[in-house]
Amino acid sequence: MDKPGGTTHAAANESNQPLPQIGISEILGLVELLRAKGGREDIYKLARELQMEFGDTLTVIRAAELLGLVHTPGGDVEIDKAGDEIGRAKIGDRKGIIHDQLLKLPVFNTLSGFLKEKEDHRASRDEVLEKLAELIPNENAEQTFTTLVQWGRYAELFGYNDDSETFYLDTEASA
Amino acid sequence: MARGPELFKLEHVTQRFRLPQGDVTVLNDVSFTASEGEFIAIVGPSGAGKSTILRLISGLLKPSQGQVIYKGRPLTQTNLEAAMVFQNFGLLPWLTVAQNVELGLEPRGLDRAARRKRVATYIAKVGLEGYEEAYPRELSGGMKQRVGLARALAVEPEILLMDEPFSSLDALTSINLRDELIDIWSDRDFPVNTVVMVTHMIEEAIELADRVLVLSSRPGQIAGDLQIDLPRPRDKRDKAFSEYVDKIFSLIA
Ligand SMILES: Nc1ncnc2c1ncn2[C@@H]1O[C@H](COP(=O)(O)OP(=O)(O)OP(=O)(O)O)[C@@H](O)[C@H]1O
Ligand SMILES: [Mg+2]
Repeated sequence: MDKPGGTTHAAANESNQPLPQIGISEILGLVELLRAKGGREDIYKLARELQMEFGDTLTVIRAAELLGLVHTPGGDVEIDKAGDEIGRAKIGDRKGIIHDQLLKLPVFNTLSGFLKEKEDHRASRDEVLEKLAELIPNENAEQTFTTLVQWGRYAELFGYNDDSETFYLDTEASA
Repeated sequence: MARGPELFKLEHVTQRFRLPQGDVTVLNDVSFTASEGEFIAIVGPSGAGKSTILRLISGLLKPSQGQVIYKGRPLTQTNLEAAMVFQNFGLLPWLTVAQNVELGLEPRGLDRAARRKRVATYIAKVGLEGYEEAYPRELSGGMKQRVGLARALAVEPEILLMDEPFSSLDALTSINLRDELIDIWSDRDFPVNTVVMVTHMIEEAIELADRVLVLSSRPGQIAGDLQIDLPRPRDKRDKAFSEYVDKIFSLIA
């Protein structure tokens, strides 16, 4: 079910792509629906069936594509190997797959590296926003920030405390 | 899941509310018996008294007439064996995810260490690890409802009551939560084995439940009681599935 030529993400080499405002649950729902449909569906039909705006449907599909879970040949959306795996996985095993997919994205990879390099494995919200502005120039970093926190938390790539506005490597969250 | 002995029953329950313009009868002579291990869905039009039935089972409301029998005894106070999941999540905004999940545990007399352990277990069960110290405002609807579910499950209730748990979620998120609910429910070490879920979506009822109770419009009466004999996972496109849809639809209309 992979794209010809390998499993590279559509966006993996575009380091300056902002993150869409889409939650993990929607992406998982899309993957589950596609699996139930045999792995592939016309995007227009999918939007109609879900009674969603075409543009909104496309935004979810793009988010899943960014995560390497689906790709979009022609006007269709088709599930990828990682998408199929996550659809089949139990709740507890889904995080690991998203974790691995996120690390293929420059924004997450850079941020995770940044936290690892820091002595206390922590960074403030402002530091992260600064990093984001470097990674995704010409974009409103705040917009990407929400998704960054949501996806990163889900995958346990890093934690974020909104009271102290601090990021930390998630291995330390269980303290 | 195998059907066990009787867990609770409603016996000739009539529910009236006193309003300034006079009494309204919301439920009229409703009787049904639920067995341990059943997943029951209640469908019916708005105002039919679906949420009222859940409140009766949870002991928050006493019937005007008739009675609710829980494990052989009339229910006279709050039912500590039941936990509820709400349409609008029912989270306290000033508490973190972990604190919200812990809420139901203190009244049930668990000490601190036991509470912590429960919280961790059920946060993991619903896939919320990593969100422990997040606040509801930071969460998407799907994640909020996972918190609602974890909080209900954490008390390890005998019966899980869900009032339209997916209806304030977008289409894809509700597909995801239904899928994960089936996953959780079919898990062997899931402590809860009886579920009563209210929904106004007929397809959702057939997808999830062993049995569907159909309420007529106000005053609610049992207009149908159907066993759903379909293997899981269920496919909406199956002929047998749509026959159930048609049947329930005709009972409501
Ligand atoms: N405490 C109360 N006092 C007065 N009226 C009430 C009370 N609780 C419920 N009602 C009324 O009883 C009727 C049935 O309510 P209930 O919430 O059980 O219906 P429902 O089937 O859950 O409807 P919906 O699909 O809209 O959620 C409604 O008309 C409601 O306004
Ligand atoms: Mg209701």
